[in-house]
Amino acid sequence: MNAPTGLDFASISERVQSEVQRAIQRSIKGVEYFSSSGPSLGSTPKDILAVRGTMNLYHYRPIADEIYRVPILIVMATTNRGYILDMVPGQSFIEFLLKRGYDVYMLDWTAPKPEEKSLRMEDYVLDFIPDCIRRVQQDSGEKDVSIIGYCFGGVLSLLYGSIFHDGPMKNLICFTTPIDFREMKLFSNFSDRRYFDVDRLIDTTGNMPPELILQSFEMLRPGSRVASQVQLWDNIWNDEYVKAYRMMDRWGTDTLPLAGEYFRAITKDLMWDNKLYNDTMTVGGREAKLADIKVPILHAVAEHDHIVPYDAAKHLIAKIGSSDKEEVVLKGGHVSVVAGANAIKRLWPKLDSWLGKRST
Amino acid sequence: MADKGNDPAVIWQTMIGEMEKGFNSFANQAMTSPEFSKVMNQVGGATAGAQKQLGELMEKYLLAMNLPSRAQMVGMAERIQAIEGQLNEIKALLQQVHHNSLAPESGYGTPRPPRTKRPPSEGEQK
Repeated sequence: MNAPTGLDFASISERVQSEVQRAIQRSIKGVEYFSSSGPSLGSTPKDILAVRGTMNLYHYRPIADEIYRVPILIVMATTNRGYILDMVPGQSFIEFLLKRGYDVYMLDWTAPKPEEKSLRMEDYVLDFIPDCIRRVQQDSGEKDVSIIGYCFGGVLSLLYGSIFHDGPMKNLICFTTPIDFREMKLFSNFSDRRYFDVDRLIDTTGNMPPELILQSFEMLRPGSRVASQVQLWDNIWNDEYVKAYRMMDRWGTDTLPLAGEYFRAITKDLMWDNKLYNDTMTVGGREAKLADIKVPILHAVAEHDHIVPYDAAKHLIAKIGSSDKEEVVLKGGHVSVVAGANAIKRLWPKLDSWLGKRST
Repeated sequence: MADKGNDPAVIWQTMIGEMEKGFNSFANQAMTSPEFSKVMNQVGGATAGAQKQLGELMEKYLLAMNLPSRAQMVGMAERIQAIEGQLNEIKALLQQVHHNSLAPESGYGTPRPPRTKRPPSEGEQK
């Protein structure tokens, strides 16, 4: 019933009415937004198996009547908190895994204290991860363990897997894991060795301050913070939108500092010398070659990842030594590929169907 | 329904999206230059040093005022979390000792599900 001019007056009136209602809701909800705290995150019941400095090992309580034989150890990225994988019920990757019958452990990190500035790559790869694997084996009574590494947690898992290639790792799943650091073009430019004096920075600050890490992440999309705030105001009448925004915003800004020596090694070995890609990486004098990893591997990458662009991640499958290997490119960004509505539809079911048959 | 092309709300949202994309793309191009890296690292290095000094100064100030710093509060929160974890462990062990079958939640020491699960056959996959 369009008028000749192409305007439908009845629907315009409805639209105006709805916009007025939204404007009123915005004012009410806007006040609510600032006076209330966000949703409680990371609330899936868990037990703390070990806390050692920056290292935390959790075991999530199984909820299925029957579980797969092989437990999973999730290795979180060292820059962020693990609750991205355990947002709220119905949107929690951990809850999904538990419901599907997996026994789930997580290696999560807390902020390294000033006295932990001397933690090196060796501490993470040759001590923290093997220690957690041992504890998972002991707790579960199983020798085999599947590892899931998210972002830099994936890099640490690859380093662990390539050094302990005869070890207990049964399957490896990497989410958005970079191996060719030259292709992280902006990070590469930010840390250009001609201008970025990592020694001076770390010698001054001790640990790499979280503000600088957050700033460098935000600089990758400098317009997005303002745009997201405008969109938040636009949608502040919509409780679901606000809940999702608060979850992601809280996690996104909850960046952890990095231990000084560890950050120095990341900059020099990976950002400058690209050693993982060039097969020249060593950790504590031990060679870490991707070709030595022979276990089944799944690499999930995001089509629109602005932090780890596809070009930085795409060589992993080619370089890995396994015969059972698969890459899946999924719609979404660096975070939305693993958490949120997209992940529920795409990544999680894919992971379940891949890992289930390799977990018996 | 009104034509989406004429809907001011849709036009506004599209405009914001396009502006964001345009600005990000323009800024990303500018940030790939070596000059940008040079300036950013000069400024960043100086700022990090100044922030460190300011942080230390604030710590001293808070200490003088007999107030905890943010780092101390975060440290305390983490300690409380660890203590809660230990308490949960002790609680579960106590429940196990007393064979408390009415325990509301399972924890350590309580029987765990058998590790016998098999993957669903292809037809059953959802």
